[in-house]
Amino acid sequence: MATDYLERGAVAGVAGGLVYGLFVATVGNAFTAGLETFEHSHGGGGPVVSELTTTVASIGGGVLWGLLFGIAAFGLAYFFLEPAIPGSGATKRLALAGAGFLTVSGAPWLVLPPQPPGVEQALGTETRLAWYAGLMALGALVAVLAGLAYQRTEHHHTAVRLGATALPLALLAVPVALAPANPVHGDVPAALVAAYRWTVVFGQLVLWATIAGVHAWLGGSDVPATDDLDYPATAD
Amino acid sequence: MQDDTDTARATDSVYDRIERARASLTGPQIAIAVALVAALGFTLLFVQDPMLHDSLHNFRHSAGITCH
Repeated sequence: MATDYLERGAVAGVAGGLVYGLFVATVGNAFTAGLETFEHSHGGGGPVVSELTTTVASIGGGVLWGLLFGIAAFGLAYFFLEPAIPGSGATKRLALAGAGFLTVSGAPWLVLPPQPPGVEQALGTETRLAWYAGLMALGALVAVLAGLAYQRTEHHHTAVRLGATALPLALLAVPVALAPANPVHGDVPAALVAAYRWTVVFGQLVLWATIAGVHAWLGGSDVPATDDLDYPATAD
Repeated sequence: MQDDTDTARATDSVYDRIERARASLTGPQIAIAVALVAALGFTLLFVQDPMLHDSLHNFRHSAGITCH
């Protein structure tokens, strides 16, 4: 029963990962390579692996990234949280995908937006990792609070309900206000940095949406299943 | 019909899911799932071995994770 969930999550993750791997192959690799021409010197004296290795490994990394989200979010988290996630069918999956995006990328990027190669950040790696981890935790908290707010306002008007659900998002303004300044310097033109950032954002959104879509298409489990239990489930 | 759905929903909660996982999963199964997630995340993001780190460079930038 629970293994069905893991299996469906992994399959959806691989499907999303393949789409995302294609994105890395067609857009990510070339975009990153192009931006590297703005880079004066690569920290450790240049990459130690060939261009081809980087290309292939990065595509593979994209596939595994999808598998990771598939197993963690749609295999493990979905099994436990399914009764609590708003909506049904594809909406339910998209709600979880949105929560996943917010946790892994959305919240952290408010303070630490994606930086193209060739841009140096003032904050040290350790500090940024700590902030990233903290913002992931906050993103998860906001997602949970939004879910709770949605459940608690069950008998209210739709507009009230949506407003209450969106309210926890305001919490995200706190770290944005408190975060230490992280001035960056590099020769990448601002417009190109913006294009790169939005490419990254859409890439992650496509990944999550694909996993959610495939997971919904794989179906199953809107009706609480009661197999694999030793005791009879119908106790009435 | 409406009642049926409501009853079904009332008997299915996050708590029930945890109970169900306890009843139907063994410790090693859970350990494998958690280890798999941890291993994937660690390999993709934190391994500092230059070979692996550099070869995943484009991926990390495409995913919006920067480390330098």
